[in-house]
Amino acid sequence: MKKDDIKEKTLSRRNFLKTTGAAAAAAMAVGGLAIPAKNAQAAGDALPKKWDETYDVVVIGSGFAGLAAAIEAKNAGANVVVLDKMPVHGGNSIINGGDFSAPGTKMQEANGVKDSAEVMLKDMLRAGLYLNHPENAKMVAYGAKDAFEWSESYIGARYTKLNFHGGHSVKRTHGTITASGSELVNKMYAKTKDLGVKIQLRTKLVKFISNKEGRIVGLEVRKDYKFPDESTGKTAFIKAKKAVVLSSGGFSQDLRLRQIQDPRLTDKFGSTNQPGATGEALMAACIAGAMDVQMDWIQLGPWTSPDEKGFGYVPLFCEPLVGYGLMINPKTGKRFFKETGNRKERADAIIAVGEPVLIMGDSYAVPKQVVPEKLQKGMEIGAIKKFDTLEDVAKNYNIPVDVFLKEVARWNSFVEKKKDDDFGCMIFPDTKPTVVAPFYVARLWPKVHHTMGGLVIDKNAQVIGFDFKPVKGLYAAGEVTGGVHGAVRLGGVAMADCLVFGRVAGKNAADEKAWG
Amino acid sequence: MKKHPYQKMTKTLAVLFSITMVFILSQTLWAAPKLEQSKAKGGDCAACHVKAKMLPDKHADTKAMNWEACKTCHTKDNLSLIGKLPGSHRHQLAEVNCVKCHGKTKKPEALTMEQCVACHGSTAKLVEKTKDVKPTNPHTSPHYGSELDCNLCHHQHAKSENYCAQCHKFDFKTP
Repeated sequence: MKKDDIKEKTLSRRNFLKTTGAAAAAAMAVGGLAIPAKNAQAAGDALPKKWDETYDVVVIGSGFAGLAAAIEAKNAGANVVVLDKMPVHGGNSIINGGDFSAPGTKMQEANGVKDSAEVMLKDMLRAGLYLNHPENAKMVAYGAKDAFEWSESYIGARYTKLNFHGGHSVKRTHGTITASGSELVNKMYAKTKDLGVKIQLRTKLVKFISNKEGRIVGLEVRKDYKFPDESTGKTAFIKAKKAVVLSSGGFSQDLRLRQIQDPRLTDKFGSTNQPGATGEALMAACIAGAMDVQMDWIQLGPWTSPDEKGFGYVPLFCEPLVGYGLMINPKTGKRFFKETGNRKERADAIIAVGEPVLIMGDSYAVPKQVVPEKLQKGMEIGAIKKFDTLEDVAKNYNIPVDVFLKEVARWNSFVEKKKDDDFGCMIFPDTKPTVVAPFYVARLWPKVHHTMGGLVIDKNAQVIGFDFKPVKGLYAAGEVTGGVHGAVRLGGVAMADCLVFGRVAGKNAADEKAWG
Repeated sequence: MKKHPYQKMTKTLAVLFSITMVFILSQTLWAAPKLEQSKAKGGDCAACHVKAKMLPDKHADTKAMNWEACKTCHTKDNLSLIGKLPGSHRHQLAEVNCVKCHGKTKKPEALTMEQCVACHGSTAKLVEKTKDVKPTNPHTSPHYGSELDCNLCHHQHAKSENYCAQCHKFDFKTP
């Protein structure tokens, strides 16, 4: 975005130097001494002479987690404000695929799926390589159903489709009616406004302000900030009488931070995220004493396409097709991995192939599994292609045709007997052999999708500091936190995570005793 | 907090720098529009741009022109002005001056889309009007419906942009 503003720049250089100076000092404390980070900042933090605004609870970020927190805090009687640095609300939540994983729901029952929180937790831990903080993972698995029902009955979001995502052991992912998270986040946004919560866009967090005891008491922000122009915005101080809830999302679009954590993730990898998904708010919390965890577990989405920008349409084509269609390495003409594997396994397998691979389905599977409008859009921009014969598929992608035809026949034989001898792909009761023309194909190449790591929280969504004690007055929820997902976040569990912990954070923030 | 001498010096330097920049800008390129200038005719480039030359050498004198006059040469297919003029210029040429949007004030503030809709009509009508634009209707999306703020694309005081292009390959030309 460009600045569209004729107003005088209001950030003074003196103020800028002061802020970055303090940040650098605290950062040095983190790096050099580790433990007294919080104290180092606390000692240096002079409270502003005058607070420009005062609220009980200040929520940072207007995605699923932030709005869930704002709604619950407001309903618990707190005076709440939501800040977002972007000119639009909704963060990544408004561009996400709208898939909500929850166990034991009515929709599962209607589809004959047996499931439980216990099984969901096992799936999360297995995919997470058991690096998940077990208590937090349990909160999400056991709280997902209630959060899902709240999103339907209280918020009014509509879900129409039960989807499967790689790494889950059953179909437990509930797709919104629009196949977009906007269905939920826009209704949460409307609810938040209806409840009388103030929402301030273009307001960027600069730093947390702590008192002498290290308690978070407020924020320095820049109002009327024009992302991504760091010279814009006017400094203001916002007092948080009870608590701050940080729900600022992950840092997939933060090239500098993500390469510090995982140097392989250069600009050669695109991202599915909105451009504001950067890590400065997370780091501001660390400077104020919050502990970070598992920051280098950064997830690549294995279902994205090199033939479109961002998240695009292909994930909404690929993921509903796994277990119904097959993935092919065009160099060999053969399958190369378990299609229903989790995100990490599949992204690693594609990167090992070294060039884009193919996902394909026939005219039985595709119309049945893929939302027609998304298929149409994907075809219009050329990211999904249609072919009359398998030979045409081979010709278009330079696949050795004989090997390819044999491989499709081999897959079809596995489908017939409901068992994949080669890779152990899940084959669903209603999966049929890939034989009905025309055939639909898309190319796949991973993009940076989710940052599993982030701030350490306990099961009350209270942020934990480098002294292992809660950072008083600071709660966090959603992708800015770490530990729930361990090494791999499963599909649809972000929505569950954001709603479960967002609501907990909002309630507990409202229950804090006001400091002044 | 006590001011460090270095900070004082920085402040002085910053002030000097700002003054210099304002001077340079106002003399050569562009003067920050003042509300008095809103009385200037749209075609009177020099009223705001001072001495800077804004139009090609052979361009007809625009001083007395309004938007209708521009359209005699600039049509949709020939010498199109789409995306060439910041929205405020287009407004000014149609006699919608600063005051008409910002009101009578010494400190004009950024506006929300309610101001646009008040004159241009409902977004539903706009969605209908652009329903056949390829590759997709720019005025509605699965994310924001028809309620994405107009100003995110149609800038008034800078070159317009294609906000969708942050994530999509939509090749829109934004007026």
